[in-house]
Amino acid sequence: MKTYLALILIALSTLQVFSQTAISGTVYDKNGTLPGANVYLEGTYDGVSADSSGKFSFKTSKTGKVTLKAEYISHKPYIQEFELNGKPIKLEISLEDEFVKLNAVTITAGTFEAGDKKRANILTPLDMITTAGAVGDVYGALQSLPGTTTNGESGKLFVKGGDSEESQTYIDGSLVYAPYSSAAPNMSVRGRFNPFMFKGTIFSTGGYSAEYGQALSSVLILNTNDMPAEEQLDLSIMSVGLGVAGTKLWKTGAVTATLSYNNLGPYMWVVPQNYGWVSYPSNSEGAFSLRQKTGKTGMLKLYSSFTNSRYTINQEDLNREGQFYDYALSNDNYFLNASWKSGLGKKWNIATSASFTNNKDDIAYDTISVDKLLCGAHVKNVFTNFYNEMVTLHIGAEFFTKTYSQKYSASTKLIANTFTNNTSSAFAEAEIYVSSKLVARVGARAEYSGYLRKANLVPRISAAYKVSKNGQLSLAYGWFYQDPTDDYLLYTNTLDYDRADHYTLSYQTSKNERTFRAEVYYKDYRKLAKLNSNAFYLPESYSNSGYGYAKGIDVFWRDKKTIKNGDYWISYSFIDTKRDYKNYPALVVPGFASKHNFAAVYKHWFGGLRSYLSANFKYSSPRVYNNPNSEVFNGEHTKPYRSVDVSWSFLFKQNIILYGAVTNVFGFKQGYGNSYASVPDEQGVYRSSPITVGADRFFIVACFITLSKKGEANQIDKID
Amino acid sequence: MKNTFLSIAIIFLALSGKSQSKEFAGAMGEALGQYASCKTVADMQALGNRFGLIANAEKSEWLPLYYHSHCYILMSFMEPTDAKKKDEYLDEAEKSIEKILALAPNEAEVYVLQGFCYTARLVVNPMERGQKYSMLSSQSLGKALAMEPGNPRAKVLKLQNDMGTARFFGNDPSEYCGQAKELLAKWDDFKPKSPLYPNWGKDQAEGLVKGCPETK
Repeated sequence: MKTYLALILIALSTLQVFSQTAISGTVYDKNGTLPGANVYLEGTYDGVSADSSGKFSFKTSKTGKVTLKAEYISHKPYIQEFELNGKPIKLEISLEDEFVKLNAVTITAGTFEAGDKKRANILTPLDMITTAGAVGDVYGALQSLPGTTTNGESGKLFVKGGDSEESQTYIDGSLVYAPYSSAAPNMSVRGRFNPFMFKGTIFSTGGYSAEYGQALSSVLILNTNDMPAEEQLDLSIMSVGLGVAGTKLWKTGAVTATLSYNNLGPYMWVVPQNYGWVSYPSNSEGAFSLRQKTGKTGMLKLYSSFTNSRYTINQEDLNREGQFYDYALSNDNYFLNASWKSGLGKKWNIATSASFTNNKDDIAYDTISVDKLLCGAHVKNVFTNFYNEMVTLHIGAEFFTKTYSQKYSASTKLIANTFTNNTSSAFAEAEIYVSSKLVARVGARAEYSGYLRKANLVPRISAAYKVSKNGQLSLAYGWFYQDPTDDYLLYTNTLDYDRADHYTLSYQTSKNERTFRAEVYYKDYRKLAKLNSNAFYLPESYSNSGYGYAKGIDVFWRDKKTIKNGDYWISYSFIDTKRDYKNYPALVVPGFASKHNFAAVYKHWFGGLRSYLSANFKYSSPRVYNNPNSEVFNGEHTKPYRSVDVSWSFLFKQNIILYGAVTNVFGFKQGYGNSYASVPDEQGVYRSSPITVGADRFFIVACFITLSKKGEANQIDKID
Repeated sequence: MKNTFLSIAIIFLALSGKSQSKEFAGAMGEALGQYASCKTVADMQALGNRFGLIANAEKSEWLPLYYHSHCYILMSFMEPTDAKKKDEYLDEAEKSIEKILALAPNEAEVYVLQGFCYTARLVVNPMERGQKYSMLSSQSLGKALAMEPGNPRAKVLKLQNDMGTARFFGNDPSEYCGQAKELLAKWDDFKPKSPLYPNWGKDQAEGLVKGCPETK
């Protein structure tokens, strides 16, 4: 009896086990059937993958309420409850695309981004380093992109008909007050920062976010590396100097210390120079950087550097015939940048940053000495709210302070001027994805300057729409304000901000590692500061009566696919611009603008030779310059700028890289117009001398060595 | 009568709670048996999905997640051209690795898998990702070997990385052949903790040895 009961029970249970329900159907998405989709009953082992025609079928012995799920990569899961009672179930399941920001449309108007490996960026961080003509200079590399004009005698960024002062650089959120090295008039400068410091770069040539103010033309946003991966010692031995960097790691942080010394003396002694150097340019730098993780998501970064650069050059005194004087410059630059980023719960992020700059130029020539001191600080706090996957909000507040003083002393007289400008600002911006095809960014920014006693409030709007599978249209509009140049603010505080309004429309299409972009823009310059008389020391000489415009077309093509192991891009910009500002007598073409700008960059990896070759050609059409002896203002034309640059990197060993580069291989003659005397001679003629380069070509050879415990690290991306 | 109730209780136990682990072992065993028959990305995805399903049913087990991730890594190698797809597969694999790291942070095999995943990322674009991912991969494998010095999968992946690097720098990779042969000879000495534990890699070791000169 007992056994009988047990047997019945067993039979019953087995019966239950074998009463199965068949579930079958097809999985689709908007493009058709979806082979490989996973269909299963939640919490059970019952399920199957859809076959090559999207069909699935499986059986389950479960009864009662079950939850059926269908899933596929980058699609929203399908979830449905059923009551199982043995009757077969047939389903047509349609999966919707999941909203993945990485795959969604992005605002590209005016923006070049190099960073995050997965996003389909036009540039990679490596590109910032491996562009031949740049010779390891961030700003040099950017000058092979559309929208920029190369001014060989300056080296600074000139963007879309804007003066170099209209571009600002931000590192980890904070303003860099003195991003360029100091140089004598008409000598090319370089950026102060080593491109290897940065993991990501955003170069915006217009229409940028409300987060960035005090820039009329462009912002360069540099984000430094996170934690280094290994403890190591890096040595650089170059034809122009030596450097050593050591990295120490601990569980939650790291510190890197760098020392370098560069001296162009030996090089210039070997390669004849057009300039009369009395003391060759030299540069000593010490830098320190700290990384510390805080909590689960936080990261504190600190970077501090001190640089001294100096040289003395013998120049002709154009005001006195046949006379020469020594022009000596010594620059001390101290820079500090700190930032802290952290998550605050699930929905919020905080980013706090601060920078401090103390930049001192001591210049002495003839019997005159000029001391310039810039002391600036910037503090910023930004909260980001991830409202939902489609909407992100940024709210921030900033404080800028800048003191600039200039001491001019000549034999008997001493003139000292100084000003302090404190600017407070706040901004708010929302990024709204309407769908994965349409995104809009709407923001506003307010500023108040204590020195100018002026406030401004500006709108910034941009949007992008995916017009086809690979193509997208993007537009940007905004007002941009910037303080007038420091040289004017020394003498007046009655000026208002300079202003530019940007209108940008851009089309971009990418497929198979080929990218095409075309952009048209219009910039309306208003209220530009003007100096209306020669009496620069009188406040009433200044007004905001200047104005101007810039319009143009930028075209960019990059192809990483067609040539195996090869990669090239071509960029062309057309600029039509005129302005009446500074001491200009009328609306004319400014001296920094070239109508046509062309760059072609090619890179090739020779696997067998373990070599990376990079070559580029750059062309800028003649610019104008002013000849005070002529009736026409800005009536003279410079030579066009042409240069072919080549660099070669050779991976000798895993941890040793040899590098060589030559700029202007073919020795095209560069001429940037003439310098003129400030006063005419007895015949009433302003004497002149041509502005030219130190030498037609520049050569560099270098060896980079990385020593680490494992001996496995290398500087493979240190090839520039 | 007492006995009857006991029998009934045992039967119920067998049918409900206890059967779960049997079902788990059975399902895992069956799925593991399908590895050999996966010839295409779709086959591998179906198998990965199978493990994903088991992982979903057994939230406290790390092994189904391990194999889910493993399948998706293999898919990235099997996908012939589409770099975006490769990265998508590896994103899936990485999601599972993240989950395993929380479930079983003391299993050396997890770090082997992580190292394997980093190597797969590197292979998508060696030129741009070489430095970063070779370092990350060697770090993960180093961690695995520190936890379990005899782990043959950590060793074979490390050898693959080392030989690849040697080839890249024009050095003779056969200097690693001794190690590879020794690894293969002693492969079966390493006993997985259970039949469901990872046991792959011998093929790779054989492949490395095959590439070696006969005499060495």
